[in-house]
This record gives sequence, C-alpha cells and structure tokens, in this order.
Amino acid sequence: MADIRVEHLHKEFGTGVEKVVALDDVNLDVSGHVFVSVVGPSGCGKSTLLNVLTGIENPTRGKVEITHEGRDAFPGYVFQSPRLLPWRSVMDNLIFVHKDRSKETRERCRRYLGMVGLEDRGSKYPGELSGGMQQRVGIARAFSTEPDVLFMDEPFSHLDAITARSLRRELHDMWKATKKTVLFVTHDVGEAVELSNRIVVFAKGGTIKDDITVDLPFPRDPADQDVAIAKADVLRKFEELDLIAT
Amino acid sequence: MAVAAASRPAAWPARIIRSRRTARFLFPLVVLAVWQLAFMFLETAVLPSPGKVLSFMWDEVRMDTLSRHTLYQSFAISLGRLIVGFLIALAIGLVIGLLMGLVRPIEYFLYDVVVVVLAVPSLVWALITGLLFGLGNNAPIVTVIGVGIPFVILNVLEGVKNSPKELFDMSRAFRVPRRRVVRHVLLPSLMPFFFAALRYGFANGWKGLVLAEVFASTNGAGWTIRYWYDAHRAQGVLGYALFFVLFALILERGVFERVSRYVFRWRPQAQLEVVEEAVPEAKLKVATVEAERMAADRGTG
Ligand SMILES: Nc1ncnc2c1ncn2[C@@H]1O[C@H](COP(=O)(O)OP(=O)(O)O)[C@@H](O)[C@H]1O
Ligand SMILES: [Mg+2]
Repeated sequence: MADIRVEHLHKEFGTGVEKVVALDDVNLDVSGHVFVSVVGPSGCGKSTLLNVLTGIENPTRGKVEITHEGRDAFPGYVFQSPRLLPWRSVMDNLIFVHKDRSKETRERCRRYLGMVGLEDRGSKYPGELSGGMQQRVGIARAFSTEPDVLFMDEPFSHLDAITARSLRRELHDMWKATKKTVLFVTHDVGEAVELSNRIVVFAKGGTIKDDITVDLPFPRDPADQDVAIAKADVLRKFEELDLIAT
Repeated sequence: MAVAAASRPAAWPARIIRSRRTARFLFPLVVLAVWQLAFMFLETAVLPSPGKVLSFMWDEVRMDTLSRHTLYQSFAISLGRLIVGFLIALAIGLVIGLLMGLVRPIEYFLYDVVVVVLAVPSLVWALITGLLFGLGNNAPIVTVIGVGIPFVILNVLEGVKNSPKELFDMSRAFRVPRRRVVRHVLLPSLMPFFFAALRYGFANGWKGLVLAEVFASTNGAGWTIRYWYDAHRAQGVLGYALFFVLFALILERGVFERVSRYVFRWRPQAQLEVVEEAVPEAKLKVATVEAERMAADRGTG
C-alpha cells in the first residue's frame, strides 16, 4: 500500500505555438488499500498522469509524492500494450524488472505467472503467445515485483470482451489478495464502476472535474441492477459535465 | 468434405515440383543446359563449353594452376581485405550513424552527403583509389570502406530512430538499472539493423573490392580474374566468375543466414523474413532512388 499525493501538478509538452497542456493543476490524494479509476476522454492527460507518477516524465510544475511507510514507494506499471522484450522468454521478461535473479525471485515470478494462468508458458517468447496472454504476462510482471502501488493504463482496451472480462475478475481477486493501492486508467465507465472504490473524472485540458465514490459490495456483476444503476449515474454526471461528445 | 479435399497433401511429383528447394536447384541446371545448347549451336570461339569451364574449376580446386596464386590464396587475400575494410567501415559508420541519430543538426548536415556517397558506383571508388594509392592493399581496402560506410551509417541511423521508446519507458518505470537496459533492450533492438548493414555492406563491399583488385592490385581474386582475361582464357574468367558466385552463396547461406537465424530465434516463424529485411532494405532503396534522382537533377540542371 502507498500514499499518493499530487499537488498543483502541471505538465506541458513542447513550447511556443506547439505547446500542449497535458495536465493543468491536478490535485489528488490516494492512500491505503483502494482501487481508484481515472476516467476521461482520450487525449485528456490520463497516460501523462501515470507517466509523471512513475517517473517516466518529469512534471513541468507542482509536486508528486508517492510514499510507503515514509520511504519512496516502489511502483508497478501495466501498460496499454504489453511492452515485453520480444527477444527474451516470458520468464526472463519478469526477471528483467527484478533486483536480482536469485532462486527466490524466480520462484516468485513463477508464482505470479501461475496467478494469471501462464505457469507453463515461462519458456516461450512473447511472440508465441496471443495478445491476451501477452497482456497477462504484463500484469504478472507488474505484480511479481510486489510493488507498493500499481498503475494500470487501459490494460484491457485492446482485448476482446470475453478475455477482458475474465482478466478484470483476475485483477480484482489479485487486488484483494495482495492489498495494493491501484490507480487504474480507463475510458470505459462500466469497467470503472465494476472495479473501483473511487472514480476520478478527467476532462480535456487535463483537469479533474469530479471525484465519485462507488459504494457497492464486491464482486460486482455488470448485469447486477445496482451496478447498472451506478453506471448510469456516472454516465449522467458525464453528460452534466459535457464530457460526452455528441 | 470440401474443406478436407482442399487441404489434402499434394501427390509427391507435384510436391517436389512446387517445393522451394527444387526450384532453387533447378535454376543452375537450366543455366547449364542453355549454356551447353548455346555452345553447340552458336559455334563461337569465345564461349567455352560448360565442361571446359568445370574442368578448369576442378584444376583450380586441386591447386593445379598456371597463375601465381592458388584459388585459396587469392580468396584468402581478398577475404582478408574485405574483413579489414568492412571492420573499419563498421567502426566509422557506427560512430557517424549514432551521432546522426542522436543529434538532429548533424543528421541534416550529413544525410545528403551519405546518400550521394551511397550512389557512387563501386567502379568509381576502384578507379579513384587506384589512382590515389597505386598497386597494393590500400586501394581495395579503401574501396570497401567507401562502399560499405553508407550502408552502415544509414542502418545505424534507422536503428536509432526505431529505438523502442516504450521499452525504455517500461524499464524506467520499473527502475531497471541502466547497464541492464543497454544490454537487454538497446543492443538487441539494434540487431536487425546491424545485420542489414552487415549483409548489404559486405555484399556491396565485395563487388567494389573485386573491381579495385582488377585495377590496383597484384594479387587477390579480382587480380586473378584479370590475369585470365589478359591471358585470353575465357574458361578462366567464367570459372572465376562462378567461384565468386559460390563464395557469395557460402557467405550468405553458410554464415549470415545461420547466425541471423540464431540471433533472431525469438521471432515467430511467419514474421522472420519480413521484419528482418524489409525495413532496412526499403529504406536503402528509398535512399538510393533519392540519390539517383539528385544525380539526374544535377546532370540536367
Ligand atoms: N511525449 C509527448 N510529447 C508531446 N505531446 C504529448 C506527449 N505525450 C502526450 N502528449 C499530449 O498530451 C495530451 C495528453 O495525452 P495522454 O496523456 O496520452 O492522453 P490520454 O492518455 O488521456 O489519452 C495529448 O494532447 C497528447 O497529444
Ligand atoms: Mg492514454
């Protein structure tokens, strides 16, 4: 678990006429064993937020602090595409992001591969797996480092509906079992309602427009009436905020 | 069932005729047959019979030759020059290519020059280096460098441009140490371009080398083919031409293909040929076409 504190965060790309404001005065506090979704139309700065939080990009202005018991928290990141090294085996891809390749590390990697149902694919190259399996390897990789905080950027958006659905269930179970802080980016409101305690709504220009608490028991079945109602509520808020293009 | 009928394996004669291997082996046989027919019906004094050429080649293989150097000496000398020249081209090209890939102004400054150098015919390299250095090792080696460098530069440049940013970002997010990133991300990502540079640079360097040896050397494979030409031995010229072909084949199939199959063993089979060659070759073709267009512009303008 970790504490995420973001204060007056600005991120700009380019200068002069080419300047793009990706994040505009973003303030966010997330802590403990929560699953927070970040929702918003594409191009509104969701990926940029995760990139700044994980240190891939530096902020233009503002403060970002991610701590775990007073020290810098160690992040895990699941990307929109698997981002595996195609020339390394599945197992080596997991080991690649670990501190060492000791016996314990290997054992742990094997365990997380098992959690996503790929224990027997460790020696395969990523190119020998289907897209859904590769994405699962990406998820196992992020979990295997046992990070304090997990960032996920539309991890299921490239997958077919059935695979996405079963991976959502797996993700929820792993979140519950490992007690992680999760920041989950998606543009799918249904997915956000199904998985999260809290939904942060982004708008074009990189500003936070709303912060919704979803207070329903897990596991949530999308066909359930309560879940459907909650989803409709969130969508209505989107309309009020004028976020849905007509 | 229609589906089963469509996918039923073909009868063996059809399979053999259709197989890629058969087609490959058939080609030299067709060439030999046409050659034999031409020899019989044209009654020319210049064209030697396939038999005569093959027997010349057999003598050469057994080191029974009139020339000053055996077949093996000649090819060893040439191969040595090729390797030395290409290693130098690789070193210089790597530095220039990296600089061009990493520093924009340097790329703008040098790109056109590189493209023009790529368009210089190997014959021109051979003649100019011959004039500059006279007989000896220098002209052939410098020709290999001149011919090889643009291939190395353009491929390294392409490799840097295609560097997998998303994998670097991934490594950064997971706090992977820099040394491991260089070894497991950067270097493997450059391999396809390195191999393209190696293959095209080597093949073209070889052509330039032979020409340079014809004009500006007293030994080597190029010199030897010139020796048979001066001696009016058509079977010697043709025999050596065939040795060149064999040499290129051995290098390509025996060395490059094997090494590349091992290095790129992670690639899914279907992707193999497409990814490895298509990208750099297409780029080089573009570069060459561009160079030719520029040369044409200058010619008319
Ligand atoms: N590396 C970059 N260079 C320049 N502009 C960028 C870069 N990354 C993102 N942007 C711009 O920042 C804005 C937000 O992008 P992004 O965070 O990817 O949006 P989202 O993930 O919500 O779809 C977009 O306008 C995008 O074009
Ligand atoms: Mg995005």
